[in-house]
Amino acid sequence: MAGKDKYSVLLPTYNERQNLPIITWLLVKAFTEANLDYEIIVIDDASPDGTLEVAKQLQQAYGENHIVLQPRAGKLGLGTAYVHGIQHSTGNFIFIMDADMSHHPKFIPEFVRKQKLGNLDVVTGTRYTSGGGVYGWDLRRKLTSRVANYLADVLLNPGVSDLTGSFRLYKKDVLANLISATKSKGYVFQMEMMVRARQFNYSIGEVPITFVDRVFGESKLGADEIVGYLKGLITLFTDV
Amino acid sequence: MTKATQALTTFALFFALWTPLFFHSSILPFLPISESLDRVIAAIPLWLIVSFGSYSLASIGYALFTFRDCPEAHQSLLAEINAAKTDLRARGVSVD
Repeated sequence: MAGKDKYSVLLPTYNERQNLPIITWLLVKAFTEANLDYEIIVIDDASPDGTLEVAKQLQQAYGENHIVLQPRAGKLGLGTAYVHGIQHSTGNFIFIMDADMSHHPKFIPEFVRKQKLGNLDVVTGTRYTSGGGVYGWDLRRKLTSRVANYLADVLLNPGVSDLTGSFRLYKKDVLANLISATKSKGYVFQMEMMVRARQFNYSIGEVPITFVDRVFGESKLGADEIVGYLKGLITLFTDV
Repeated sequence: MTKATQALTTFALFFALWTPLFFHSSILPFLPISESLDRVIAAIPLWLIVSFGSYSLASIGYALFTFRDCPEAHQSLLAEINAAKTDLRARGVSVD
């Protein structure tokens, strides 16, 4: 049954010319097969690789009601990209995911089902429970991810198994509230959103997802990211 | 109260209880604490630290061990990418 619910997918992009058409194709397929009303909002931060041109072609192929372009003048960061996207969204639910295909739209019906089951405020994808998993990570990367989540779990006790993941479904007003309360950037941004959601007593559900590390391009996890994460963790520990 | 304040409060409470017990012979001489119990009291903080460390290592180790690989998700994604490219070209979207 197609209800009154509409799902807006926010896709912040920067140099995703290769990934954007395919993630869009997968999204359209997932939403069409599940018979859900949707729009995909592409927030391109003036990518020099021509992401916006491809987005325009996609808009012609799938229609302006399904592909919405909200480009910005420069690289302005993730938090403001979401705010920008929310302002121009017409759905009552918002999906947040990476545009690089590490998050697969095939899990969208599962998010929606989980959300409806308990009228949840937030549904977050987890790589760590049964049915979830990763591809393309070596032992070092897995260990880093596990330690990072363990530290966050001990210090902040958020009750969510995958804090640093970023494939999530929010009620629109809930997401707007969380973003306005969230101060950090980068990896910590996604974690803080969950910690704040717990702080505000929003109901949170989890669904298992698989995570396939970027097929096109490089994914980065260096010393800078780790130091930034630890700093962010301490900031949250003294703030929440 | 922030998480940091909660943690500090817990530490403070613990040491407020533990310190008088540890120094009981000089400040609370009337307490009937035997010499063997005395050694147990002295070891409590170290025991807690070692327990926490062991729990952490076991927890991370178990989580790492049960962290699943999903090569099948990668395989099916590659197949879908090919299907998507063919279909997108037919719709007039340029893909590499």
